[in-house]
Amino acid sequence: MDAPLIVRGLRRCSTRRFLAWMLPWAALLGVGLLAIGLCLVKGLNQTNMDNRFAFGLWIFLDLAVIALGAGAFFTGFLLYILRRHELSAVINSAVVIGFLCYSGAIGVLMVDVGQPLRAWFTFWHPNVHSMLTEVTFCITCYLTVLAFEYLPIVLKNRQLRRIPSFLVFEFELHKVMPVLAGVGTFLSFFHQGSLGGLYGVLRGRPFAFRDGFAIWPSTFFLFILSAIAVGPSFVLLTTWLVGKISGRTLVRPGVFQLLARISGWLLAVYVAAKCVDTLLWLNRTVPRTGAAPYQFYAWEPFGTWVLFVEIVAFGLAPALVFLSRRLRARTGWLVGAATLACAGVVTNRFVMTIQTLTVPTLPFEPYMLYWPSWQEVATFLAVVAYAVIVYSLSFRYLALFPQERELQQG
Amino acid sequence: MFPGIDGFAWDTGHIVFLGAFYTVLLAIAATVSLAAMRSRRDFRLHHEQAIRWQAEFHDLPASCRRCRHELSGEVAERTCGLGFDCRRCAEHARLLAARSGGLPKAAVSDGVAAGFRVLADRRYHRGHAWVRREPDGSAVVGLDDLGTRLLGEPDAVELPPVGSRVEVNGTGWTLTRNGVRARILAPIDGTVTAHGGPDCGWALRVKPDGDGADDRHLLAGEEARRWTAREAERLQIALAADGVGAALADGGVPLDDIARAITPSELDAACGLVFLEP
Repeated sequence: MDAPLIVRGLRRCSTRRFLAWMLPWAALLGVGLLAIGLCLVKGLNQTNMDNRFAFGLWIFLDLAVIALGAGAFFTGFLLYILRRHELSAVINSAVVIGFLCYSGAIGVLMVDVGQPLRAWFTFWHPNVHSMLTEVTFCITCYLTVLAFEYLPIVLKNRQLRRIPSFLVFEFELHKVMPVLAGVGTFLSFFHQGSLGGLYGVLRGRPFAFRDGFAIWPSTFFLFILSAIAVGPSFVLLTTWLVGKISGRTLVRPGVFQLLARISGWLLAVYVAAKCVDTLLWLNRTVPRTGAAPYQFYAWEPFGTWVLFVEIVAFGLAPALVFLSRRLRARTGWLVGAATLACAGVVTNRFVMTIQTLTVPTLPFEPYMLYWPSWQEVATFLAVVAYAVIVYSLSFRYLALFPQERELQQG
Repeated sequence: MFPGIDGFAWDTGHIVFLGAFYTVLLAIAATVSLAAMRSRRDFRLHHEQAIRWQAEFHDLPASCRRCRHELSGEVAERTCGLGFDCRRCAEHARLLAARSGGLPKAAVSDGVAAGFRVLADRRYHRGHAWVRREPDGSAVVGLDDLGTRLLGEPDAVELPPVGSRVEVNGTGWTLTRNGVRARILAPIDGTVTAHGGPDCGWALRVKPDGDGADDRHLLAGEEARRWTAREAERLQIALAADGVGAALADGGVPLDDIARAITPSELDAACGLVFLEP
């Protein structure tokens, strides 16, 4: 039924099967929209956030997806600026993923901040001394850049490209893409860093507070490094997953190898930097604040095992797999390592957002745990559903993987 | 945000932060505006056809973009990067000069490659159109045997109006069969002077630009036969059942109307590969 919209020569499942796949996600999105409506109309009393847990599931989600979405800008940087042409095989998919991650994050942020009709206030009356202002400006600008990077992919749809003005604009837009990739890289570096810096400057929260360089705490640099290390892993993982679900070979194995190698080296550097940072923090920064490091890990479930899992199991282990030529040649190891690396960045953002707030900072404060309300969870799942729906539509009707057709022909 | 707005101050923080922000916004706006202005210029200069071909050629699988010198065995592997316009290709000129016997002569007799006729009196375009020079200086243009057999008897034919211009790799004419629209690329630059039809064996009569002698991008003779054989192979692979891949044929000749024997989606995919329209 929708065959005229599908890229010529690509095999896709029947319309009925596609609709059956979309239906549960649409239902999830519907429930999520209901929860979002409740939060916007009735306010944050619909959530389990309070004065202690001002950051909850949503901010954790924002940080996690923005880190995972770094695959878009970093792949663009490697392709358009460093000229790694092999990555043209995944750049379209990376851009779509980046767009979905950032638009999803901004959507959730709008619900969290509330009063979306007054969203322009943050731009009109910015507090230029706040890291959050930089984050707001940067991710808004970067989402605009991503939209312009996504646009040519949409305009290449089989029916849309028949319209001469769309075709010509897409062609010209493609020519200026290196400029947009450069701007995107600049913006991404800063907002990834500012998101980390946001925690590092929390003097009242010794669990998060870090020393640093000039005005930037060490978390500024660690967030950038972890995002660019895991971005290629997430592109690898999503490409493999889409290939499995659709039953198609989407890229040549060499592309996976390259992504793994890039991710491996960066992850190794990140793990080393994270270890140095943790040691400095434990031995220098924390004692200076008057706190004892062991206190941070005295309450279960957030014991020292979380630190071990984050650095060793989700950092060092995947880095070693990626750097071993023998192991990364095996798809199982490759995908397993990519999953661990992505889990690592998600764990790091969870630790910085949630664990930071569970640890008491005053002697009379209790240790507290936070569980999100169903409205928070449904909003979270709505973003996941939105991403799956838009990605599925893009995969079906747009050419996300240029090598797919050729590989299909054997 | 701006001087005069509540909260703004002429201090370092505001100047540095907002200066950087406006610079980034300006860079984004300027880049997109540049693309929009270039698009306008392209329309004014009627570059749509050339751009369409450039964009579509870029999107073709590498198997569709093999260099003619790879087909002739002169180079082991080479992908064309110039939209099959050998007139602009320095490598083509170099390889021609290196040929001991010079340019292969047009075959003196008609031939057959993989069951498809390759005629000696015409030159072939990589999009399966052919050109035949007529004694009166005009050229007639038609669809080759492989293209004709693939589409069979078309349900609809759209020809450009007499007096309109066609340009190499732009849209020559379109054919529709079983709901699948195939665009045939024009093999030469010129002005359409007459329409042909199935009875004439050609589709368009064209008055070529200039003397029309520069046909270095077209194939003839042995080169055309080898190319046709490769195209037949590609078509066979494209029409093979999922997972079968290339297989040796067990004899026989190609059908006169392949479109009738395959599903519209298979025809659609095959047209994309054969007529170079991704």
